Amino acid sequence: MRSVTKRFGGLTAVDDVSFDVFEGTIKALIGPNGAGKSTLFNALTGFDRPDHGSVVFNGMELIGRRPRDTVRAGLARTFQNTQLFDELTAAENVMVGDQAHRRRGFSAAMLRLPAAVSEDREARAEAGRLLRLIGIEEWADAPAADLPAGIRRLVEIARALATRPRLLLLDEPAAGLNATEGHELVQTLFRVRDAGITVVIVEHDMGLVMDVSDEIVVLDRGRKIAEGPPRMIQKDPSVIAAYLGGEADEHA
Amino acid sequence: MAELLQFLVAGLKNGSIYALVALGFTIVFAATGAINFAQGEFFMLGGMLGVFFSGLGLPLPLAAVAAVAATAAIGAAFELLAVRPIGGGDPLRIIMVTIGGAVVLRQLALHLFGPDERALAPFTQGESLKVFGAAIERQTVWIWALTALAVVALALLYRRTTFGRAMRATSIRRDAARLVGINASAMVTASFALAAALGAVGGLVVAPLTQTAFSVGAGMGVKGFAAAVLGGLGNPIAAVGGGLILGLLESLTAGYVDPVYKDAVAFVVLLAVLFLRPKGLLGGSGRTKV
Amino acid sequence: MATRTLRALAPAIAAVGVALIPLLVTDRFVLKIFTFAGINALVVIGLALLFGYAGQVSLGHAAFVGLGAYACAFCTVELGWPWPLAFAAAGALAALGGLALALPSLRLKGHYLAMATLAFGQLMTLAFVEAEPVTGGVDGFGGIPFPALGPLEVRDAASLYWLVWAVVGIAVLALFNVTSLRPGRAMRALHGSELGAQACGVDVTGVKVRTFVVSALLAGLAGALYASVVGFVSPSLFTLTASVGFLAMAVLGGTGSLAGPIAAAVLLTLVQYVDALIPGIPRGTAQAVQSYQEDIYGLAIVLVVIFAPRGLASMWRRRARGGEAS
Repeated sequence: MRSVTKRFGGLTAVDDVSFDVFEGTIKALIGPNGAGKSTLFNALTGFDRPDHGSVVFNGMELIGRRPRDTVRAGLARTFQNTQLFDELTAAENVMVGDQAHRRRGFSAAMLRLPAAVSEDREARAEAGRLLRLIGIEEWADAPAADLPAGIRRLVEIARALATRPRLLLLDEPAAGLNATEGHELVQTLFRVRDAGITVVIVEHDMGLVMDVSDEIVVLDRGRKIAEGPPRMIQKDPSVIAAYLGGEADEHA
Repeated sequence: MAELLQFLVAGLKNGSIYALVALGFTIVFAATGAINFAQGEFFMLGGMLGVFFSGLGLPLPLAAVAAVAATAAIGAAFELLAVRPIGGGDPLRIIMVTIGGAVVLRQLALHLFGPDERALAPFTQGESLKVFGAAIERQTVWIWALTALAVVALALLYRRTTFGRAMRATSIRRDAARLVGINASAMVTASFALAAALGAVGGLVVAPLTQTAFSVGAGMGVKGFAAAVLGGLGNPIAAVGGGLILGLLESLTAGYVDPVYKDAVAFVVLLAVLFLRPKGLLGGSGRTKV
Repeated sequence: MATRTLRALAPAIAAVGVALIPLLVTDRFVLKIFTFAGINALVVIGLALLFGYAGQVSLGHAAFVGLGAYACAFCTVELGWPWPLAFAAAGALAALGGLALALPSLRLKGHYLAMATLAFGQLMTLAFVEAEPVTGGVDGFGGIPFPALGPLEVRDAASLYWLVWAVVGIAVLALFNVTSLRPGRAMRALHGSELGAQACGVDVTGVKVRTFVVSALLAGLAGALYASVVGFVSPSLFTLTASVGFLAMAVLGGTGSLAGPIAAAVLLTLVQYVDALIPGIPRGTAQAVQSYQEDIYGLAIVLVVIFAPRGLASMWRRRARGGEAS
């Protein structure tokens, strides 16, 4: 992405941010609260339109596209406020993600054509597989509304994976997870990366970020102030200043 | 020329009423983000209760005040009983409950006051005023005066009093308002009461001219909403403007096209605004999308 | 275990029960009431799809019923079309109306759709009255012939009953398929979280429009059936009151289910005609119930929305789930 800028009224939420993400890596976006990270995600995935800038993914310009198109292009995201479908079970939630790449078929469904039925069975199987990948298959048939917060996040990740993305954008996936779950998440992220999916995560949990990322981008007040491998970022003085000088406590 | 003036007078007369009802919609929308489908019924209650209190023997001014106060109380009760139990959650449920509540209020009026149309005495007796060849009924002057008074009072309330500022804060950021110690739920109740009062004033002041009945709520509700959306939902000035414009459009249509289509104007306007410019003429409360 | 098989068989049992009613009920008027219940049920399952699955409110569905009714009347009486064609035309016209309304309004938030449907409904009521040459105006449109499938005319009360409920049955089957497969999940997804649905690549507007059109189609077919069963329609049938009534049935019936709304539709229809159904009922009570019909609608909506937002269907589900720990 290049020079992505997004303003809200008089507030420049994201100011001239540019960086690249290399395929098959895990990149983390960190920064104090209000640094513009979620806004960036929204701009990338079509939920918001930046005032300026361009994002090229796989040779395709993403800015200005609708969310549906970015999903088709191979981008998937999760939300800071987990957006699950409470009326559906965990497995069904994931199945909705799966249908991103299926053809339309309202009439086929209505007539209960064999194609529609088998498609459904495949979707269910795939959902099961993804839930197993993340390690939460025992929650498959629980209504999403009943799930604990940490599991909800993981279901959302499974759902995002069901859309068969090439790039996965996770907005604070570790929020609400305890230490064991956090460790599971790290393992999951590695598995995702090894499956060939590029990952960009926004995260506050420094430990997780250090463990998992290949590269880190630091934002402060909408601007990029540093980029590089974890070890370098750890030592970067401007990063340290941003964290100490800005918000009070970053650690969960 | 005199004819045009007559139409303008009629348009501004009805428009003022629409403005009051539209303000009611706007206030509740600002506080809750939802449309109160019962707003039209508050209008109806203003007129009906005015007739009721006056029938009890109260002198008209007292009956009027009582009617408005009673409707405001009903508005608050409505919020407490029907809307508050829903909590913040699904806006769909708030819509549904106000729809059902509107029916209940309407039926209540039917059972208490009967199905017949009722008339209220004009506030001041006397001949219509003749201005440049157009006849302006005295009640029309009352309508303009009371509407203007209501708008000014509302503006003062919002800008000058702490209460008003609290309401504005709550409508902008509810959680932030709560942090500052404002009782958000009470603000919501207050906004319902205020909206009900405004609707009631409208119903009361127009009753001498158009008669009132238990069933007038739905039609007025749609018109008031059309006016609010026309101006731009969420903006009180826009609501007033929208009301006046709608009134004028109606009256000009009735005058120059066909009186039969008068009622259709509001519906057409509503659909047109929703389809063409959802934010209304003055741009409203912001994005309707994500 | 036994409850499981019972629940699976329940639809079949219900279908048999419904089919048997004309054999058990001899009073033609009572049978007609049950036929009306079926017509209402047809409207309500469409509305249930829209409201209970996709989470959208329509306050103007009576307008689509009216469109279908007048279309059927016009096509058979004025154009002389065979009944099946008129029936299809009724559905098509209502569906088109639904499309025309839904396309622009569904881009906006939910309450805007509700108001747009309200305005549309009011507009149509006015149109039905004003378009005299086509609709007969306030005096109504009479002389509508009975349904005829080819040379076979459906005249007697029992056959009409079976025709209506057969249509309901087909509609239920079709909708059940839709809701249990992908489109149904998409609807429930967008009801749950539009953002989430968008992030899954769901064509949110497309789903909403499609759902709305289907519900309008069913309402139109119901209107055609009504016109053919009764033989006479007038604008006073297709008012806001009627729309609210349909909505009340859908709300009471509950979300996420088709059986609940059907049961609610039947129940509320029967309540309307309580004096004909319970012969011994004193006049006073019967009249009281009828005059409070709309209060029932309003209160039903309010109480259900506050206390049992998922309607009858959810209360039944909760009992069935019984001792399961959550």
